[in-house]
Amino acid sequence: MDAWDKALGRAMFTEDYYVDYLLANALFIKQVLSPMPHARIKKIDASRALSISGVHGVFTASSIPGENQVGYAIPDQPLIAEGKVRYAGELVALVAASDFDKAIRGAEEVVVDYEPLPALLDPLEAMERRDVLVHEERGSNIAFQTRVRKGNVEEGFSKAHVVVENEYRLHHQEHAYLETEAALAIPESEGRVTVIGALQYPHLGQKIVSRVLGVPMSKVKIVAPYIGGGFGGKDDEGPLTCAKAALVAYLTGRPAFILYSREDSIRVHPKREAAVIRYKSGVDAGGKLTAIEVTIIHDTGAYANRGPFILWRATMHASGPYEVPNAKVDGYAVYTNKVYQGSFRGFGNLSIQFAVERQMDLLAEKLGLDPVEFRLRNILREGSYTLTSQLLDHSVGVGEALKRVAEKADWWRKRREIEEFNKSSERFKRGIGVAVAWHGISTSRAVPDWSNAYVKVELDGSVTVYTGIVEMGQGSPTSSHVQIVSEILGVPVDKVKVVFATTEAPDSGATHASRGTGIGGLGVLVAAAKIRERLASLAGRVLGVDPGELEFKDGRVYSRRDPSKSISWRDLVREAYARGVEVSATGYYYLPKGRFDESTGQGFAYPAYSYIVLVTEVEVDTRTGLVRVLRVYPGLASGKIINPKQVEGQIEGAIAQAIGYTLMEYLYFDEYGRVLNANFTDYVIPTPKDIPEIEKPVYVEDKFRHGAFGAKGVGEMALIPGPASIANAVAHALGVNITSTPLTPWRLLEYIKRSPRG
Amino acid sequence: MRVEFILNGRKVAVDVEPSETLLNTLRFKLRVKSVKRGCERGECGSCTILLDGQPVTSCMLLTLQVEGREVTTVEGLEKDDLFKKLVDYFIEEGAIQCGFCTPGILLTAWAGLKQGRFKSVDDVREYVANLCRCTGYVKIINAIYKAATGVAGR
Repeated sequence: MDAWDKALGRAMFTEDYYVDYLLANALFIKQVLSPMPHARIKKIDASRALSISGVHGVFTASSIPGENQVGYAIPDQPLIAEGKVRYAGELVALVAASDFDKAIRGAEEVVVDYEPLPALLDPLEAMERRDVLVHEERGSNIAFQTRVRKGNVEEGFSKAHVVVENEYRLHHQEHAYLETEAALAIPESEGRVTVIGALQYPHLGQKIVSRVLGVPMSKVKIVAPYIGGGFGGKDDEGPLTCAKAALVAYLTGRPAFILYSREDSIRVHPKREAAVIRYKSGVDAGGKLTAIEVTIIHDTGAYANRGPFILWRATMHASGPYEVPNAKVDGYAVYTNKVYQGSFRGFGNLSIQFAVERQMDLLAEKLGLDPVEFRLRNILREGSYTLTSQLLDHSVGVGEALKRVAEKADWWRKRREIEEFNKSSERFKRGIGVAVAWHGISTSRAVPDWSNAYVKVELDGSVTVYTGIVEMGQGSPTSSHVQIVSEILGVPVDKVKVVFATTEAPDSGATHASRGTGIGGLGVLVAAAKIRERLASLAGRVLGVDPGELEFKDGRVYSRRDPSKSISWRDLVREAYARGVEVSATGYYYLPKGRFDESTGQGFAYPAYSYIVLVTEVEVDTRTGLVRVLRVYPGLASGKIINPKQVEGQIEGAIAQAIGYTLMEYLYFDEYGRVLNANFTDYVIPTPKDIPEIEKPVYVEDKFRHGAFGAKGVGEMALIPGPASIANAVAHALGVNITSTPLTPWRLLEYIKRSPRG
Repeated sequence: MRVEFILNGRKVAVDVEPSETLLNTLRFKLRVKSVKRGCERGECGSCTILLDGQPVTSCMLLTLQVEGREVTTVEGLEKDDLFKKLVDYFIEEGAIQCGFCTPGILLTAWAGLKQGRFKSVDDVREYVANLCRCTGYVKIINAIYKAATGVAGR
């Protein structure tokens, strides 16, 4: 619906507001970042910066009028470093100047005197150290722990016919959204401030800005315009970006604009967590899993941020979508002096599913079973109990999805053919791999989650929807929400306008966790349904029919029994205004949750799970170590598919990010924990040439009773098992055990050297 | 320093700093907002413009270098039939997600179409080297190939 605007560059992104309205008057902000991974700040001297004409101010922790605390899960994080810095890239001061160049010059002239402290870069070392602490006040470098205790693992392993044990290492991932972080803050009368910024949850931005400025939330208005990609990164950094701009605007009384350079963006904002996972699993002679024992260690970096939530999600997904009777899982989020971890599409689940799905292939191989067949023997179905002993009472389409994808890919025949091909091919080896994943819908455990929206019907029958859900390419507000209203009220889509991503709307929750359409759409659905009910009762009176037999379609309301009894939508709305029938409503939906015991990790984890299957074919050049993904077959069991084209777009985009993560993307840290490749020349993301054939997805519409029209969630799904499916295909091609990422050429060559055939 | 060039068919004159990039001149002085700032080192293609008909990244050009030359952005192609057809295919295919990379990709694709470069899907993959982080390129490649041949890419 907004495609033309986007095509012509008319869709307003944050920097565009700066260009349009404020160029002459606004201050431009440049960040002074720490070059040190761990150091005390002895002194900050801004005098030289302030002497540059055009530099209006240098702001540090002591400038903050409210609370210098932005920790998401744990109060461990300042907006601007105070006392000490904990990673190279941490914000130390903000320089505001009349233009871009002066702000950059000003930032170069801020002199910070650091007293270096020993830096911890390895999470395994940091876990053990007591003499060096990233956060002294916390007494340990372990930021957070999780656990699951189910059944009896010793007994489970004693029944095992085959046991497989491995240590997996997964690396960081940079979001690399094409639009870097930006925010424009406009001071207003009575101490109010409006921020236009690139963030995924306006109401969270409102909360953080209010805390930093020390003003009530009602005085802070946040609007997210179009966002040039988020993938979780702007869920974490977006509110902080807004707070930085708001602080300068509030203190100077001038509009203030912050725009991260690409280098700053990569150095500053949180990344997908790097993980060390020790995984032991046992299976009986019948091919049923008997026990798993898992240790998950996340390199949390300098701040906990969402680490505890990421770790919980990893922990509760540690079995994969399989029945496991006995389990012991321990999770540790560990502080180090590196850029901190945060939300990234998949949220802790990608790394654990990698370990699970490598284990499943290795177990199948040891048992002499086909990987698909082995998975099917253990797959979750209706009536299964999950890792947290939650009964899955509905919406479990994963087994069928796996079967249908394997059939579509001609799995069994292709696997044999490839093995034949490899016998005669020396240099090029082919492989085909499968990986399955599950992903809990909504927040983990009993953490509250809700949907909320406001819908009003205008006098001319057009409809306006207000939601806090943002538009970052996924199209939930601009496409799915429009479709929902159109379907319920029977008005054409071009008559529905969604005002999205604003704190003027009720708090709709974040646009993350694949919840924009399925959960975000619920509030819209409830509000539209309330209005429909009122108007149906009115139309029933006007037409002299039972409201229950009324159809709302194509701009008309008519009786199903006698379609001649009919009124146009427009006339009905006019009647409503004339007769005093309210045609606006808020829609609120609170997701029912159950009990969860944190000491055993048992109980209610999620209201439902989305499931995905990927079958991937690869070709490996054993001379260069280059892996080419040839073809991917996706299959999705995520409830009702509301907009198939949009869903395909999400799957294809996620597969590209999985290929990037597995085969090319890697952050290089130097001995000071500094990111060495903070640019797009050296941090390489996929181009059109790296994209394989991606087949049309198989859909199993296992409807979810608490999602809009039965939808679960799609956005994150295909990225989660992507690396595992590629690694399984590469392992099949080479006959080696792949336990780490990335599979860049030099790493692959190391694997090939170790290979029995190599 | 004063620079004159043709922007979307009209002569423009602007005062610029010697070190000023065409990207900054276009956005901040001429308010051409379709030209997006992505990486500022010529990698991503979000700031693509056509310079005398050839796609180039405006972050890698000093404005001084375009003196007397012709600069085209999507604003200058709004009424062009081939461009309109191309956008229609992008919409039909679902090739636009966040939209940040879209104007740059459209310009590159339009130039490639004009020059008759797209005989195969691989030609499109080779020529359109702009980065997109949302779509996975499948629908973009299909839309461009469709515009070139009138048939779907696969």
